[in-house]
Amino acid sequence: MSDGHETWLKQIDAELDGELSLLERAALAKHLAACSHCSGARASQLEVRVAVARSAGDPHARVVPRPIIRGRALAFWVVVAIGLGVAGGWLAHGRWGGPGGSLEDSRAAIVVH
Amino acid sequence: MLGAVASLAAAALQGPGTRVTYRVRVVEQGDRELARGAVSGPAGTDLRFALKTDSADIEALFQIVPQGDSVIVAAEFFTKRLAGRSRRGLALWEQDSYRRAVRLAWGDTARVHLFGRPRGASRLWIELALERGFSGGEGRPAEELQVVDAASDIRLEAVVRPRRARVVLNLVRADTVSGPRGFDLVPDAPARRVQLAMAGRRTNLEIALTRPEPSPSARDRVLALDADVVCLRVVAPPPPSPDVAQPVGVVCGRLNDVARRLPLPGGDTLVATFTWPSGR
Repeated sequence: MSDGHETWLKQIDAELDGELSLLERAALAKHLAACSHCSGARASQLEVRVAVARSAGDPHARVVPRPIIRGRALAFWVVVAIGLGVAGGWLAHGRWGGPGGSLEDSRAAIVVH
Repeated sequence: MLGAVASLAAAALQGPGTRVTYRVRVVEQGDRELARGAVSGPAGTDLRFALKTDSADIEALFQIVPQGDSVIVAAEFFTKRLAGRSRRGLALWEQDSYRRAVRLAWGDTARVHLFGRPRGASRLWIELALERGFSGGEGRPAEELQVVDAASDIRLEAVVRPRRARVVLNLVRADTVSGPRGFDLVPDAPARRVQLAMAGRRTNLEIALTRPEPSPSARDRVLALDADVVCLRVVAPPPPSPDVAQPVGVVCGRLNDVARRLPLPGGDTLVATFTWPSGR
């Protein structure tokens, strides 16, 4: 019984995503007419999708909108990551020292003054 | 190479009574003077400089080669820097040795940036000015150092390679000691035959003064730490027959008036003392 419901719940998901053929949709409709559990699950799924669409700012969407990474947000997090890296490097250099420059740079130099 | 430079410098400065002076200032960032001093001496005098901090030991030997109105300053550096700590908490040091040279006019000042050419403000440097003048009969090297910051470990030393050495020889057997015989010897000159007498018995020897073999230690070689070491090669001259000289041995030491002993084949002991020749 449980395995059967699992299969129908997957079919409900696929139907709401528009992925079922006519034959599969007909079979699902026939099952939903007879199964209150699966018809309730379908209603719940629809409500969840409506909530997601509302939160994405498009309550009248025909399908669930895909999450969009906005350019500003991406730039903000890139800047934050670079800042954290620089600060961590600076602290680590102060604590343990860095690899230093080339050997020649570390050697004494004589300049006529 | 170092010896060749030293010989060239000595040869170029062989003028009568020339005296060379290295004037040194050690300066920290912000123009704060840590120490000042001078090293002077006859032709061929080098300057040995040392600075020790918590994270670096810098030692250098400065030599000069005069060329007309200018002078080439050559420096051999031997440095140790604290590179970090091991997993067991022990200090890890980087050791390096290298050479630098620059040409400047007499009286000019060279700035030696000990921790590399500055990109912004330099951390620490020394100012080195070279002067030459007439010695007026003064042949001894001289050193003076005034350390302003007592926390600084800074040293200046005059390095002079002896052109002659006074060697005092005694023969010793049990409680009997011969009278001292003194010889002025020149390093790498031909061997000299000497006769020492003790208790009515005469001992003939051939002695020659030589320079020591180059030290196996890189630091000793770079800083010429054995500059005032000489070796006395002793050979028993050939008896009438067979006509072959017998090497007796070599005794080496600094010109510091310390007696050094060399057993002779006949049971006597030769005691040699090396000192600077009088009149320096």
